[in-house]
Amino acid sequence: MAVLAPFALAVLVPFLYPALGRRIGWLVALLPFSLFVKYLSLIPPIMQGEPIFINQAWIPSMGINLTIYLDGLSLLFSLLITGIGTIITVYSISYLGAEEALGNFYVYILLFMGAMLGTVQSSNLVTLYVFWELTSISSFLLIGFWFHREESKYGALKSMLITVFGGLAMIAGFLFLYLITGTFEIREIVAQAGKVPGSIYYLPALVLILLGAFTKSAQFPFHIWLPNAMEAPTPISAYLHSATMVKAGIYLMARMTPVLGGTLEWFYILSFVGMITLVYGSFMAIRQSDLKAMLAFSTISQLGLITFLLGINTKLAVAAAVFHILNHATFKGSMFLVVGIVDHETGTRQVDRLGGLARLFPITALVMMLASAASAGLPPFNAFISKEMFFEATLHAGGAPFTAWLFPAAAVVGSIFTFVYSAVMALKVFFGPLQAGEGHGHGSHHTHDVSPTYAVTHGHDAPERAHGHRGHDTHGSDHGSGHHDHEAGHGHGGGHHGDPWGMVLPALALASLTLIIGLFPGLVEYSLVLPAASGAWGSAVKIPHLALWHGFNPPLFMSAVVVLLGLLGYRYFYRLRDVVESVQNARFNLNVLYDRGVDGLVKGARWLTDIQMTGYLRDYLVFISLFFIAAVGYTVWAKNGLKFTGMDLAPVSVYEYVLAGVMVVATLAVLWMPNRLAAILSLGVVGMGVTLMFILFRAPDLALTQLIVEAVSLAMFLLVFAHLPELKKEIVSRSEKAINAVVAVASGTLITMLLISGNATRLFDPISRYYVENSYKLGGGDNIVNVILVDFRGYDTMGEITVVAVAAFSVYALVKLRPGKGGKQR
Amino acid sequence: MNTNLIVLPVIVPMITGIILLFFYRQVKVQRVLAAISALAVMALSLYIVYAVQQQGILTLRVGHFPAPFAIVMVADLFAGIMISLSSLVSLACLFFSFGTIDAGKERHFYYAFYQIQVMGINGAFLTGDIFNLFVFFEILLIASYILLVLGGQAAQLRESLKYMIINMFSSVFFLLAVAVLYSITGTLNMADIAVKVSQAPEKGLLTAVSMVFLVVFGLKGSLFPLYFWLPRSYFVAPSAIAAFFGGLLTKVGIYASIRIFTLIFTYDTSYTHNIILYMSGFTMLLGVLGALSQNDFKRILSYHIISQVGYMVMGLGLYSPLAIAGAVFYIVHHIIVKSCLFLVAGLTEKVTGTTDLYKLGGLMKTHPVIAWLFLAAGLSLAGAPPLSGFFSKFALMQAGLQQGRYGIVFVAILVSFLTLFSMMKIFRFVFWGVTNKEHPPVQGLGYLSLVPPVAILVVLSVFFGLNAEWIMGVATASAEQLLDPQAYIQAVL
Repeated sequence: MAVLAPFALAVLVPFLYPALGRRIGWLVALLPFSLFVKYLSLIPPIMQGEPIFINQAWIPSMGINLTIYLDGLSLLFSLLITGIGTIITVYSISYLGAEEALGNFYVYILLFMGAMLGTVQSSNLVTLYVFWELTSISSFLLIGFWFHREESKYGALKSMLITVFGGLAMIAGFLFLYLITGTFEIREIVAQAGKVPGSIYYLPALVLILLGAFTKSAQFPFHIWLPNAMEAPTPISAYLHSATMVKAGIYLMARMTPVLGGTLEWFYILSFVGMITLVYGSFMAIRQSDLKAMLAFSTISQLGLITFLLGINTKLAVAAAVFHILNHATFKGSMFLVVGIVDHETGTRQVDRLGGLARLFPITALVMMLASAASAGLPPFNAFISKEMFFEATLHAGGAPFTAWLFPAAAVVGSIFTFVYSAVMALKVFFGPLQAGEGHGHGSHHTHDVSPTYAVTHGHDAPERAHGHRGHDTHGSDHGSGHHDHEAGHGHGGGHHGDPWGMVLPALALASLTLIIGLFPGLVEYSLVLPAASGAWGSAVKIPHLALWHGFNPPLFMSAVVVLLGLLGYRYFYRLRDVVESVQNARFNLNVLYDRGVDGLVKGARWLTDIQMTGYLRDYLVFISLFFIAAVGYTVWAKNGLKFTGMDLAPVSVYEYVLAGVMVVATLAVLWMPNRLAAILSLGVVGMGVTLMFILFRAPDLALTQLIVEAVSLAMFLLVFAHLPELKKEIVSRSEKAINAVVAVASGTLITMLLISGNATRLFDPISRYYVENSYKLGGGDNIVNVILVDFRGYDTMGEITVVAVAAFSVYALVKLRPGKGGKQR
Repeated sequence: MNTNLIVLPVIVPMITGIILLFFYRQVKVQRVLAAISALAVMALSLYIVYAVQQQGILTLRVGHFPAPFAIVMVADLFAGIMISLSSLVSLACLFFSFGTIDAGKERHFYYAFYQIQVMGINGAFLTGDIFNLFVFFEILLIASYILLVLGGQAAQLRESLKYMIINMFSSVFFLLAVAVLYSITGTLNMADIAVKVSQAPEKGLLTAVSMVFLVVFGLKGSLFPLYFWLPRSYFVAPSAIAAFFGGLLTKVGIYASIRIFTLIFTYDTSYTHNIILYMSGFTMLLGVLGALSQNDFKRILSYHIISQVGYMVMGLGLYSPLAIAGAVFYIVHHIIVKSCLFLVAGLTEKVTGTTDLYKLGGLMKTHPVIAWLFLAAGLSLAGAPPLSGFFSKFALMQAGLQQGRYGIVFVAILVSFLTLFSMMKIFRFVFWGVTNKEHPPVQGLGYLSLVPPVAILVVLSVFFGLNAEWIMGVATASAEQLLDPQAYIQAVL
């Protein structure tokens, strides 16, 4: 139940923050650290193949339980979440100044930690989904941490819309799995995995669940949210948008491999999406001039690599995937932290305005060297090993003949681009002539003034509202970034006082792992990688030892090609960037699609709403009557409800004909009367006609009531008329009038037919017979109507009296309390 | 079981309302009396739920005449849940009124009308007689007219006139339906009608009557294509009233639809309930699109009422135990959360003087408490886990997929997504961004006195999410009662 600890602390933070101030960061860091230690202590039993399993009933009637299942795969993720969580929290203490909303920050980050731990440890699909969405929400809040900036708001919304869209698809996919297996428990589903691929629900379940995974893990074409998510404070980008949260989708795919994997659909969808993302992401990373945007695309491409491996779905590939998850978290996390330091200290993240920083920040430079060497896939760093495994896996992927050459080729191409941007980050920024942001003009050949990405959004979001005082732009969109002027960085911008230790040490701790794991892969092989791979594969996985040296083999050759061509690419970086630029300069791209989609949705909604919500009562009444005619008219016709025969009717007298005729004429006359007085008098004629009808039907008390009602309302109308303006001629088009007439006639006819049919379809004795028999006996009155009103159904009468009383008091209140006098009236 | 207990939720507010008329000058006395009455009704309602769980369906034959001839009041679990919610929301909005309704309205019978409103709603939930239902509809409508229009601003008068005329239109249809139903079955008691309908040899006309009822209750419940009156009239009302109505009033129509389409018109579900299902889909979709088209806090919320009502009716249209339980759960969730959101809008209006999104911003910095309340309630409305909105939608989705109704499940998911979009729009404009200099929020902590009624509702939404097992159990039990009309009929006749 350690999963719930971060939530508990999150609740306490708002109360502790006022007392502790900035020191609260240390308290918060203690939590992931102690959890990290706890998870480390769980390695031995889990290595032995004894997963931890806790089942806490939550909503058993719906099959939703808080089931915690900690096997190798979950443990690997839990260690990443808590370990990197500790580093990030410590780093943030120096990164965020005391004037920031630190209370919010730590609440969000704890919320995220708990949610992320829950996601990777839940073995109930619905619980997993619950935590999954919580990570999206906390990510939304963290991206929008500097909520006064339009860019933050834009990025937060974009990430949320895309990931929640995927999440909703995913829960639908889970429901399909439930239809197949009858349970939400992953372990029980795995036990019945055999019947999943053959089911008719397999494909919808697969596609929907993958939508969830792809959106979360920023796979092409859903990757567009990740560059905009870089609006978050840099430690957050490192933590959520590189090391952990974006790997939730990867986790889900790994977790689902035993259930959904092993089919052709799985193989092709995953490997192709992963491959495209790998190549596209690394290609796009080249052209970014903002370091953080570069990292965003590099993360996208590395996530693609892992998806690619899961798609290949051999034991080696799965092992490589989980190993690379670990490695990527170490090197990419460190790179983000270094970029954070650079931004914090120099106030800019523009590649073209930075250089030679190693002189100012030697240790920071060291961290970047370690991390980017790993990223580039150089020995003896950890990612070299996983990259070799990746090459090996692409060579033995299986599938159609063309994949045998396509997969390795794509892997090499992606790796070359990766090599180039890694080299830029380390060498260009930290070596060469000193450039630290200020004063140096646009070093690059490309300057777009406005990013179209935002232009569209600002169109309908409140325009010109606060382009915050922090001017950094991480569009990182497919457009590249425009503005090159950064104002002061966070906290203390500009001053160069050497390495900021509070941030460098955590970064160094993380980066050193790249070398340690690279040199001693045995440290993690049996403790983490193989148990995790077994968890993903569904049974024990055995692979050749993890080692730097595997002899002269094709992967080594591929690595050599990557290094050679990569060096060449770095040598001609600017030319390469221009090439990339010219290829990817389309006006129409995925971001524009997203913006137009959001904009179109709102415009479409407005159009659709405006045509029906006209504000005119007459339109509404027409719509309602049309529905009445359609629903009731069709039903009575289709279900044979009409009946006009078999009634025991009294003969109709001449008086009644005449009276009815007069009423019809008077009703029609109301429509044509030129002024109110005439109209109301015509209406009075109708009322009096009804009164006479009551007399003809020998209901004198009803006639009397009707007469009084008519007289009083007529008098009332006349009183009020004096205060009303002239009756205006309503301007309604002919066709509209025709429609109104048709609707009116049709409704009237339908109502008449219903009433006649009702009269003709008397199937049971009415209860009124009881009232006739018992009116004197039980009610003590001869007048049945009176006895019914005051006795048998006195409760109704009480209600009607209430209505009349409320109406009376309402009129009084409306007359007395008028605007202007309003509240002041005494 | 015949007991006088169940008339109290109707009578207590009525008597309180009458007493309040005499104290129209003493606002303080009015407030105290209204609060005591609301608390008493709350306790009564909860006790009724408890009693129903212990003793089964409670009835009262008013006047003690034998069953189909007397007006019968019936409290089953569903009705009990509804009156509990009604008293909860009326209590919260009452306390909110204390700080937001101006003195002029308070002196002009605001609290008395408010009590009659509660009386009308509770009466409609508790009645077992179709004509009596009409009467209580009239009570709650007349009270709602005056509560909407009290104050007499031009916009109020304009919109409540439309509201009133459309509702009178619907009353005519109601009378038509009751008249035809009475001439066919010869009775007004709903249990008796259910018996007669099941025995009727020819049911064509009855099905047509059921459609008339659908029009009537669809109008009250704001279903597609009958919801036109709703968005603007709730916008002009004061927030306390908008919250009260937004949460409860449409739900009376939904309650009545569920009642008659589980008790009386259950013989041709492949026709009637299918129509309901289609209506629910359009209601959800057009409601949420309406919300997307708006740029005002309260207007957006008003349109969301429409789309949310669609989910409840979706449960009715699917007509399986899980679906009805999901609908009941959804009603519970919605009433709490929707009222809560309107109250948050009221809080925002109180501190800034506007609900126009373009004039708001940065409240997260100046009034973080409001921001948190909104975030929790807004996410719950959108169905984000682990709040109450998620589990109720989840039950409906599951029910839909089990029956192979993929289309409606797709719509439900899509609408949930768009609802989130819309809630985040409010959040971004009102709470994020920077303070609008032309509409600076009021400084100071005075607004905190209005927070408790809102906070209680938020806590309940969280509680019903985390404790979904419990509320789902109650909802399932009430769905079982609803789907077993014989138990209702036996208890009444």
